[in-house]
Amino acid sequence: MRQDDKALLLRLQEQNLEFVIIGGLCSVLHGVSLVTLDLDICCAFTRENLRRIEKAVSGFNPRHRLASNKLPLELTDELAGRLKSLYLQTDLGVLDCLSEVAGVGDYHACVERSVIGQLSYGSFRILNLEAIIAAKEAAGREKDLVAVRQLRAIRERLQGGS
Amino acid sequence: MVNDALIAELNRGYVCPPDAGPAWRAACEYGFDMSLVEDALRMTTEQRLEQHQHALNLVLELMEARTADAPG
Repeated sequence: MRQDDKALLLRLQEQNLEFVIIGGLCSVLHGVSLVTLDLDICCAFTRENLRRIEKAVSGFNPRHRLASNKLPLELTDELAGRLKSLYLQTDLGVLDCLSEVAGVGDYHACVERSVIGQLSYGSFRILNLEAIIAAKEAAGREKDLVAVRQLRAIRERLQGGS
Repeated sequence: MVNDALIAELNRGYVCPPDAGPAWRAACEYGFDMSLVEDALRMTTEQRLEQHQHALNLVLELMEARTADAPG
């Protein structure tokens, strides 16, 4: 089992995919101390973008991880036109791509509510603190609400609360 | 010099700062070791990603070891 977020990010960037990092890793990048087992991104689900994702993970055994028989990722025009989310298992790790984030909105809404995270190998958009809190609250699962406790504390600290 | 006060300090773990705001206090009371969050807030984004990757690698290794040990 492997989860190499850096490799996944780099490969997506190499394909010029425009995306926003959401989910657990976004929380981590804001300072949350919890570990997350996948990489979640939001992007516009155009055929071109889905092809970019396919190319990014090509050669790394990409499969639809939630499909009963873990079908290999083989995009057709029809499939690319109908997908709203893409839950992938690859040899680089889990990559979940969403067209919409509950509590925030579609890709464009995510961009509007994002900040740039600067890394030595590139800059990446991540949901801003308010937006990731809204997303986690909307998701409402126990693990999301646990993370919200830390995110609220971080927001308070950054806003100058003690 | 080891004395009782030092031992008590070493044993008590993270103490929520007295001037902590309500959200920070709530996170402490929930049981988080918020010193880890304090450390993360002093890091760059890249350092946070690297630290997470190290922790994640360890978690995945432990999960694999557990699977390998599972009977049947």
